[in-house]
Amino acid sequence: MNIGQQENRQGRLIKKIFDRFTDEAAQEVNLLKSRPDFRPELEYFVDLLAAGRDPATIANRTGRKVVALMCLQAPLELFHVYGLQPFKIFGGTMVAQRLSAPQLPAIMCPMLRSALGELHLDLAGRNGEKFLAWVAPTTCDWVVKIKDMMEVCGVKEDPPFHRLELPHLKDRDESQERWLEEIYLLKTFLSELTGIKKIKRQDLANSMRLYQKTWHVFSRLIDLKRQGFAPLVWFMVITNSFFFDDVEKWSAAVEKALPLFTERPKNGPNVFLAGSPIFFPNLKMLHLLEEAGLNVVMDDLCSSERIFPGAVFCDDLSEHGLLKALAQRYHQGCLCPTFSDNDRRINNIIAPAHKDLYQGVVFHVLKGCHPFDLESLTLESRLKDLGFKFIKLETDYTSEDSQTLLTRLEAYRSSLVN
Amino acid sequence: MGYKIGLDLGSTAIKMVLVKNNEITWSRKVPTAPGQEALAMELVKGAVSECGLTEADIDQITATGYGKKLMTAAGLTVDEISANAHGLHLLSEGRCRTIINIGGQDLKVININENGRIADFKMNDKCAAGTGRFFEQVARILDTPLETFGELSLKADEPLELNSTCVVFAESEIVSLLAKGVPKERIIKGLHHSVARRITHLLGTRYASKEGDIYLDGGPSQNKGLLEALEDELLMEVKVLPNPQFTVAFGATLSVN
Ligand code: SF4
Repeated sequence: MNIGQQENRQGRLIKKIFDRFTDEAAQEVNLLKSRPDFRPELEYFVDLLAAGRDPATIANRTGRKVVALMCLQAPLELFHVYGLQPFKIFGGTMVAQRLSAPQLPAIMCPMLRSALGELHLDLAGRNGEKFLAWVAPTTCDWVVKIKDMMEVCGVKEDPPFHRLELPHLKDRDESQERWLEEIYLLKTFLSELTGIKKIKRQDLANSMRLYQKTWHVFSRLIDLKRQGFAPLVWFMVITNSFFFDDVEKWSAAVEKALPLFTERPKNGPNVFLAGSPIFFPNLKMLHLLEEAGLNVVMDDLCSSERIFPGAVFCDDLSEHGLLKALAQRYHQGCLCPTFSDNDRRINNIIAPAHKDLYQGVVFHVLKGCHPFDLESLTLESRLKDLGFKFIKLETDYTSEDSQTLLTRLEAYRSSLVN
Repeated sequence: MGYKIGLDLGSTAIKMVLVKNNEITWSRKVPTAPGQEALAMELVKGAVSECGLTEADIDQITATGYGKKLMTAAGLTVDEISANAHGLHLLSEGRCRTIINIGGQDLKVININENGRIADFKMNDKCAAGTGRFFEQVARILDTPLETFGELSLKADEPLELNSTCVVFAESEIVSLLAKGVPKERIIKGLHHSVARRITHLLGTRYASKEGDIYLDGGPSQNKGLLEALEDELLMEVKVLPNPQFTVAFGATLSVN
């Protein structure tokens, strides 16, 4: 087969997958919109997800150029002050994996495999608009190698690619200093990217204030979930859509949705959901948790409660002081399992303040996601020593294991209520 | 009056028990096929007529297993892990603490406490290795009835070291062993040991019962060769109930709303 024929074939495959990709998302949208607890205020979030994640759509909506982000340790406020829209790359579609899977290892993070496939689809559907740049904090092995994998998969992305070298020890002063250097390097990178030579200290402080305000709104939503009022499905639709629009518009929509959550689910014990991310349209696990009668009142997924690292407060209002506060918040405050000294993550789950909120922990692991898989072992033994019930569910994006997952969740529920 | 029906709609068979005062008075199983609800209702009708009962004598129908939601006639449904725990607790007179259940397409290890409640459980993931389906496939490859596996493997002196419990790889491994003239008995014994090692791995040290008994349950537990291999691997006595394929259906009848 010559190159022309090959390209033709690939083009036809992309077209075919694009249609099925749209179907996959549409099916989940229908499911969400036909739920009895669907309300017009939630339509905004569902529609954001349904409209897709290609840079052209996001750029048109936000009026800002879009920078792809591989993990959540790069301060969002910094992108904002340079007039950019950060967009965390999550892949949620099963069918998109067909475009990347043949070139990739058989056992690999399905979230990234899907994201790599979706990049082909972006290229097919976005009228030439590309991500302005890529920013990748070096978290797990898959993210560390993402650029190589993009090349292997034939994703023709050549915008600037900036790596942030993440110190994997959090509680050392040297690590903090090192990370602050990285934040300065990110600032230089964004400055060169946008041609904005100098940002005003006041503008950075304003961006930080904006995110603080958003955090206040978001934390009210978290509280509603803690009290059992905000069902996880809606909570996650809202959080999944966080990067899809301008932060102020998103925040206003969340504020409008808050009064909806006034009813507690009737049945089921409360649980903490920990582990690998869950992303639209692959909300399989959320539906199964509901079907099994388990109420998730807390979670630590980076696509959910952790999608927004929280407000940054600081006393030192010099530019250095602001950047230092950002660096600290996004590094020390991050509960990603790729850190080596990560007691804080486990303590967050077993914290006495949280203990009475739930009866057990459901640990979701995507096959090939080693950081979470490994951390589940420590967590399981710590939790069992404390008398908590723990269940680990390993899955991927296929639906064929739904029945066995449901059986496990139902049995887990019985073990909690008995 | 006073009769309860337990239906276990599994992936390879539908099992039914009729129970009075916690005693099984009638039991039967049929292979799973399309139209599970109709097949299950045939069993119900069969039990009622063979036992000279009327529908009014049945107080409750409880369904469990993968097809439980299909049973519209069931007043109650319960997950099969809880049903297994309830059933074995009662049938073992409270002595069981660990259940190893080999189902049609899954493998479960369940720890129960002294009250028969689930303390913990583990299940294999999607892979069919070591499940009932796996044994059926191997029987087909060896062209040997599954019911004779136990007896045949007990005749072999040494098990053969088999590397694969994956259906696909096991097939090529077994075919090449047969081509080399290795007797079927040794292959089957090797197979039992490799499944037993897989179960031991699933069980893990934390799951093995320190007190109380371990029971092997589900259809394949009637295979004496597998039982022997499991005891060898676990270095523990493993018990089997007289009719292990009906424990889950029986346990379902003990469930309360
Ligand atoms: S941490 Fe896990 S889910 Fe996240 S990118 Fe790495 S492998 Fe994937």
